[in-house]
Amino acid sequence: MSVPYRIALVAGRELRAERRQPDGVVAAVTFIAVLVLLESLVVGPSIARDTDVASALFWLALAFATILATMRSFDRELEDDALEGLVALPGGRDALFGGKVLSLATVLLLVAVVGGILSIVLLDLRIALPLHLLVVVLLGVLALPPIVVVDVVLALRLRARAALVPILALPVLVPQLVAATRGTSAALSGDAVGALSWAGLLFAFAVVYTVIGLTIVPAAIE
Amino acid sequence: MTETTIPRGNALPRIRPWLGIAAAASFVVASVMALFWAPTDAVQGNVYRILYVHVPLAWLAYLAFVVVFLASVGWLWTKNPLFDAIAVSSAEIGVLFTGLFLVAGSIWAKPTWGVWWTWEPRLVTTAIMFVMYVGYLLLRGLSTDFSRRATRAAVFGIIAVIDVPIVHLSVLWANSLHQLPTVLRAGGSPALDSSMLLTLMVSLGAYTLIYAYFMTSRISLERARQERLWTT
Repeated sequence: MSVPYRIALVAGRELRAERRQPDGVVAAVTFIAVLVLLESLVVGPSIARDTDVASALFWLALAFATILATMRSFDRELEDDALEGLVALPGGRDALFGGKVLSLATVLLLVAVVGGILSIVLLDLRIALPLHLLVVVLLGVLALPPIVVVDVVLALRLRARAALVPILALPVLVPQLVAATRGTSAALSGDAVGALSWAGLLFAFAVVYTVIGLTIVPAAIE
Repeated sequence: MTETTIPRGNALPRIRPWLGIAAAASFVVASVMALFWAPTDAVQGNVYRILYVHVPLAWLAYLAFVVVFLASVGWLWTKNPLFDAIAVSSAEIGVLFTGLFLVAGSIWAKPTWGVWWTWEPRLVTTAIMFVMYVGYLLLRGLSTDFSRRATRAAVFGIIAVIDVPIVHLSVLWANSLHQLPTVLRAGGSPALDSSMLLTLMVSLGAYTLIYAYFMTSRISLERARQERLWTT
């Protein structure tokens, strides 16, 4: 059985589990919706509509939603004692990392679409370059999960895990968050070259961290 | 716990006193050169002399975290506990020097920029690097089993090193108040007066010896801790 096939199997299994028990998606979507609402209330609608501010808060919310969804995904494995079985399979560790990243990216895409629509409607944002925005969001959604999955694996079964994962993940995610925010802001304000440059950087981060994850995460899973 | 062995008879206790003497002597020489021998800067006056502390601290922060990375690779590759001792020692010393690097930068920023802190890329990325390695130490502190702790920390130590080039190159990638790299410049010789450069090089040497001295002390402590862990 090839590695991509095993990864697709784990991702499919994750998505089926998410469909049956969608608490991770629901929590992430609710979280991003609450943050979009809070943003307008706290900073005021005129500031919240600024493309830089709206983009930054959207991606920060999505980063936290990624952490939330990833932790929930691993909690489900631990509650069902399913992790040991999966890890024991030949190539199970690679497949676990790849499958989690793939399924989380899919879940996050849904969360990003809901959060994005809410932001656009509630903040009355104008999108100058919709296709560019789509590319940035797609690549941003691919760039976030690899790091978060690695950090959740590192903090697995540790006390204070809920506090530790954001402390480990957010500083490492800074370049991705900056690129995603700048790229989104550029797409909203009509800067095509800027949007594509930042999208390129997001693609590079997604590839680099996925390769690092596939290389070293198997060593970190006990 | 995986099978690991503690090699006996390490040479660290023998070289440590000599390293300490060399570090103290070179620190005195570097301080005298920085305070009295190096010329006054035409623009900043004497304030610039903090350069001879600030730049070596930055160098040590980078060095310490690169050593964490190399030792982390060493641990994952060989499972030799010496590498874990090196990694934790370098991370702790790196956090200390990064903290001092931020404080020294802040002290320099006040008379030159008029503020203790400004949201410019070099400062922000350095602060992020500081938080990242505090996270590394937290991760270690929360793990109890030796082998798991070392493995988890090693994986994070490999990922976190990516911030080191980001900190160094941040002044080139974004509009920055901070001056561009003065010594490690792409395609050019150092942009410093020769006596200033010599003073800076002596300071870098002195601080590197201090790092080496701290490392030998901390590694010995960690090795003793590992031995206690194995014998109990």
